[in-house]
Amino acid sequence: MEWDSNSDLSGDEDEGFVFNDGDPLPFPVQNLLQTAPCGFVVTDAIEPDHPIVYINTVFEMVTGYRAEEYRGPFAKRRHPLVDSSVVSEIRRCLEEGIEFQGELLNFRKDGSPLMNKLRLTPIYGDDGIITHVIGIQFFTEVNIDLDPVPGSSIKESMKSSTRSHSGFSAFRPGIVGDRNVYRGFCGILQLSDEVLSLKILSRLTPRDIASVGSVCRRLYDLTKNEDLWRMVCQNAWGCETTRVLETVPGAKRLGWGRLARELTTLEAAAWRKLTVGGAVEPSRCNFSACAVGNRVVLFGGEGVNMQPMNDTFVLDLNSSNPEWQHVQVSSPPPGRWGHTLSCVNGSHLVVFGGCGRQGLLNDVFVLDLDAKPPTWREISGLAPPLPRSWHSSCTLDGTKLIVSGGCADSGVLLSDTFLLDLSMEKPVWREIPVAWTPPSRLGHTLSVYGGRKILMFGGLAKSGPLRFRSSDVFTMDLSEEEPCWRCVTGSGMPGAGNPGGVAPPPRLDHVAVSLPGGRILIFGGSVAGLHSASQLYLLDPTDEKPTWRILNVPGRPPRFAWGHSTCVVGGTRAIVLGGQTGEEWMLTELHELSLASSAI
Amino acid sequence: MGSTSTKIKLRTSDQKVFEVEKAVAVQSQTIKYFYENGCPGSVIHVHSVSGDILSKILDYCKKHVNSAAGKEDISPEELYEWDTNFVKVDQNTLFDLILAANCLKIESLLDLTCQTVANMIKGKRPEEIRTTFNIKNDYTPEAEEAVRRENKWAFDMLGV
Repeated sequence: MEWDSNSDLSGDEDEGFVFNDGDPLPFPVQNLLQTAPCGFVVTDAIEPDHPIVYINTVFEMVTGYRAEEYRGPFAKRRHPLVDSSVVSEIRRCLEEGIEFQGELLNFRKDGSPLMNKLRLTPIYGDDGIITHVIGIQFFTEVNIDLDPVPGSSIKESMKSSTRSHSGFSAFRPGIVGDRNVYRGFCGILQLSDEVLSLKILSRLTPRDIASVGSVCRRLYDLTKNEDLWRMVCQNAWGCETTRVLETVPGAKRLGWGRLARELTTLEAAAWRKLTVGGAVEPSRCNFSACAVGNRVVLFGGEGVNMQPMNDTFVLDLNSSNPEWQHVQVSSPPPGRWGHTLSCVNGSHLVVFGGCGRQGLLNDVFVLDLDAKPPTWREISGLAPPLPRSWHSSCTLDGTKLIVSGGCADSGVLLSDTFLLDLSMEKPVWREIPVAWTPPSRLGHTLSVYGGRKILMFGGLAKSGPLRFRSSDVFTMDLSEEEPCWRCVTGSGMPGAGNPGGVAPPPRLDHVAVSLPGGRILIFGGSVAGLHSASQLYLLDPTDEKPTWRILNVPGRPPRFAWGHSTCVVGGTRAIVLGGQTGEEWMLTELHELSLASSAI
Repeated sequence: MGSTSTKIKLRTSDQKVFEVEKAVAVQSQTIKYFYENGCPGSVIHVHSVSGDILSKILDYCKKHVNSAAGKEDISPEELYEWDTNFVKVDQNTLFDLILAANCLKIESLLDLTCQTVANMIKGKRPEEIRTTFNIKNDYTPEAEEAVRRENKWAFDMLGV
């Protein structure tokens, strides 16, 4: 039938016979449809709860429900204020297999009342059994009546119901009156759950939602929705962070509401030890570790006699008995150590720089861990940065590799920052031009926060003719047209004396973890003086005056934690490799700093 | 579907009739649907949108249609400024606009008005939210204490 040809027939194909095979319907549908738009509903009468198999676009438009939301039992969709006498009359007709005609006050999804003339016609199959029920609803009198002034529109509804003498009491003035009072009392609560939740609350932050939930009971109920929490977490933390958090299998993941709380308060943060199987052989140091989803990937390193390695190992923490596995990868990059390994584009790893057999490197290799078979591929990005090792890198927007500083030939320290967009077909290196750079350094960390801002902390920095471990913090907002480095806090800054709270002692090759919401957690590394490497320090660079504070967590911390051998898995677990001694690398004994409690 | 000068007639709850340029009226997906599927030339009843609210909504649609079509020389910043001023209204009007934008399916207006409400909630404590929107605290003292404990972490962050 042409009148509905452009609406999507969302029922199963074989349900479509009503519309397609030309069977004459028991009433003149076309005539009716010419007079006014009408809603059209088909239910499956064979299934016990009469699921709706089709509704047309007019019905969606007028009621505010979408076809997919309307799947399922017909009766359960009833608004509590729908007149039960009419509903029982409908039931009686359906049970007796006769047509129902009448008027019904129904409610749109947004809660506003809707008068409709309803005609329900059973459709019999060949064997005399009712297979479907077709409902036609006319919305002529109140077709786009959203009822901000209940009094006036109710009069309209009243007129229509009196005129038609349907014999059913179509509405209850008392209830509608209440609604009127309700409106005068509070505007926001007259909005529908859908608008409140999807359009307003979803724009807020996790702690706003917690606050909203304490206001009144209806808002409390609205804040108990996982989809809403997912949206607000994504608002606060960014898509990339929520994507990473979702790599943890469903059963092991906390609800978003709980996660928001734990990652805000860090109340559940704890150290624990983890023993895994397998082996990384031959043994090595100065490799690079990186997380891809819930897997730890280790590449390269310095073997015996300073042999540069080029093999790849994977530890899958999703597995019930995780073990190191050597991955056979074709065309591996030249062996190296002091390089960086970063995760881009979901399951891709990118290696940059390091020290190889022939000296320092500035090549780029990418590996898709999920490809079969996994293959390293060299990216010949034009205009690469100088060859270097012990530089720092991070991933922006999940696709762009950022490299900064490091050590060039003859031990020269660098202070530049480069960006390589790996979402492009032919990636091109681009130096980020800045008027001023922090002192050149190696062994520092780069962390991404607040979407496109990067934070540099620590490292071995040049200071005049000397080199010192640093505890300075610099930030740069890469979403700005002309990004520039800003000094946030540090000991070596003019006018300092460090106003920034209890700052972590200067260090290099430490660990920096970006927490959802923008805070940065620092620990480990080679620390000046007699300070413990396992003490945790927290900084919120989004604060007006960022201040360091110490975070004490239970559990047994590792004695050492190095930036190059630590990675954050699933957004909430910092996996520290080689935490026992500074000399021997026991890669089957791991330490884990978990920032949220485990769901099991 | 006709030239841009085609007019659509809309009748409001207070029986005001608006004759609106089609391009402006069809910013509302609902009106668009009813226009395309109804009788040409017939009046579309928007019963429960009052004349005042519809008039405001049409101002909004007109501004955005004209700016998109280049009929009006207005920069994105100026349009943003205009939008900001557009939603500087009392709460009743704001919620009427939301209800109307939702029912008439004008996504951009719904986003604008809902963002405005969201901004009014941001960073506020429960008591402040109640005051702002005149919401009655319907918790029993015990229930309120339980909810307060449950959400204490958030208030701690707000420095309560």
